[in-house]
Amino acid sequence: MTAAVLSPGRSNLHRFLSGYGQEIVVLLAIVALFVVVGATNHRFLSNTNINSIFAGNAYIAIAAIGMSMVIMAGHIDVSVGALIGVIATIAGTLAVSDYPIWVAWLVPILFAIMVNAGVGTLVAYTRIPSIVVTLGMLSILKGGLISATAGEWISNLPPEFMIAQMRPFGIPSAVWFMVALTILAALFLRYTDFGRSIYAVGGNMEAARAAGINPERTVIGVFALHGLFAGIAGILFATQLQVIQSTVPPNLELTIITASVIGGVSILGGTGTVIGSTLAAILFACIGSALIFLNVSAYWLRAVLGLMILATVLADMIRRRRDT
Amino acid sequence: MKKLTLAAIVGLGLMSGSALAASAWTGGDDQPTSPLACDATPAAAAAKPYDGGVPTNAPDRKGKKITVVDVPKLIGIGYFNATSKGIADAAKELGNVDAKTDGPTKANIDDQITFIDNYITSGVDGILFAANDPVAIAPVLKKALSKGINVVGYDANSTPDARQWFVNQAQFNGIAKALVDNMAKEAGEDAGVAIVTSTFTTPNQARWIAEMAAYAEKCHPKMKWLETVEAQEDNNLSFNQATTLINKYGDDLKGIFGMTSVATPASAEAVTQAGKCGKIAVVGLATPNAMKPYVAKDCVKSVVLWNPVDLGYAAMMVLRAVADGTLQPGATTVKAGKLGDLQVINGSEILLGAPYTFTKDNIGQFDF
Repeated sequence: MTAAVLSPGRSNLHRFLSGYGQEIVVLLAIVALFVVVGATNHRFLSNTNINSIFAGNAYIAIAAIGMSMVIMAGHIDVSVGALIGVIATIAGTLAVSDYPIWVAWLVPILFAIMVNAGVGTLVAYTRIPSIVVTLGMLSILKGGLISATAGEWISNLPPEFMIAQMRPFGIPSAVWFMVALTILAALFLRYTDFGRSIYAVGGNMEAARAAGINPERTVIGVFALHGLFAGIAGILFATQLQVIQSTVPPNLELTIITASVIGGVSILGGTGTVIGSTLAAILFACIGSALIFLNVSAYWLRAVLGLMILATVLADMIRRRRDT
Repeated sequence: MKKLTLAAIVGLGLMSGSALAASAWTGGDDQPTSPLACDATPAAAAAKPYDGGVPTNAPDRKGKKITVVDVPKLIGIGYFNATSKGIADAAKELGNVDAKTDGPTKANIDDQITFIDNYITSGVDGILFAANDPVAIAPVLKKALSKGINVVGYDANSTPDARQWFVNQAQFNGIAKALVDNMAKEAGEDAGVAIVTSTFTTPNQARWIAEMAAYAEKCHPKMKWLETVEAQEDNNLSFNQATTLINKYGDDLKGIFGMTSVATPASAEAVTQAGKCGKIAVVGLATPNAMKPYVAKDCVKSVVLWNPVDLGYAAMMVLRAVADGTLQPGATTVKAGKLGDLQVINGSEILLGAPYTFTKDNIGQFDF
């Protein structure tokens, strides 16, 4: 982005491409997949399949919005998968314990915001690296969840609790949430002081401080916001199916971090957009579905994702070296 | 450049994967299979010498009152509540057994060993167990044998020489037959079927799928296997995979096999949300509680597992027979009260019998 700003001689198109390069790559990959797989089996393009692709992974896209902000601020959170599992279990427990539905939706979200604000406070003031703090949090949440539930599933959820299964105007509500939250977060990052301070803190903390930003407060705020998105993702995750499995979804945090990184958020902090991470989450869903349509083992999904991470990070490094 | 790299990677990944797709029932292992007869004839047991342990200087317990402790993997969950009920039922029916269940509240092998050790010290005549770890539990069980205590396992085995007998809840070919027979009954003899499993390399699931393929070929040759997908033991992934199968095959898909207690309810949910109840049958391994909503809505007709109450009952009956000396090494059957004669297999294992199919009529009686 800096390169584009500093070279006024370049064309608008070029500026646009270098600003949203990664987003465009991901978008093209999605389009290419739809064309190739749709040509092999037209059912891939059916309304129901496209709905499944978008709805089934919307919660990952939403969690990736918060994760992107954390990474932009120069941190990381490896406990988000466990947090989503805990949120789902709390929500389900409240829902089957005859609390009003809005309590079952909101209390877990508040819980997630509080937990992550706590993580943010630790990271900001003790200067313990966020990967260490969140690894600790991962163990606490995982262990606590298994101890509290003894592995029992929650079933008999009330139908009005199942927000992810509602379909306003024929489109799954999870998709509405994904689109609305992505747009809101993108506007927030671009047009509010706090949003811009996230980039500043992630880019260069001391420079940000010199510019009058309080980096500690920004980091706590970013983690709390991440908690909000993780909370919403957790509620959608909890209400997708009739039962809530009281375990931590395997590898969820990795999928979410991967979505952020492939969406163009630099793992070194300071740059990236949430539109990219949402597109990347959709791309994963497309690949997952395409693998089945093309009779390919799901193991390839992980291999492909791994290769994509390496390629993206490598490209980011090369770009940074060229820019400096 | 980056664009190209990414596109190339995605393309390469997809292409090389396509070349790997095989034609057999994917997800099965390549070990030899032994499909059962198409009717209800039980398989002939291959002769294998007794390989269980022997208690040292066990007192004559024939017909005498004995105290028995049952130490399952953990207590307080529906499944082991059910086995415990079966043990209590058998003890009550026998009249000369004082049985109780005690054990860790978490499936932890160290805690389980401590429990067994304490009961050896306090002095019991018999120990029933479901091992949290087949190898780690062996020393404490051998210690029990060395004190003259009768030791019988159920549900989860130890190494054979650490116990006398093990009650095996279901054999792979028995489960396979029950699954495939129920599918043929519900979805039709020529149904196109798909499988949702944990991973292609999970040992139990791979064995079941290999046996299912062999049994279907023998007894339901027109059944058309379409695809096996992996979903780990993840609820949401299982749902997404099953949904994708439904979208991919449309009306060609008549049935889904769920190979894990996670995949089966998630597949039933996928069929429900796709509005395909009655059009796509879901048959699978699952616990009754997870399946009750779908069975109640008539979306799922048969859930295959074993009956844990019968499993506990059989284990208690076997322990009594061992204590009485009526079950000796080399026996081919054992009398197990209301369950009749149970078959001895694999040297020192006793087969509970055909798997149990939970249906709308009986599922309400189970809580696990």
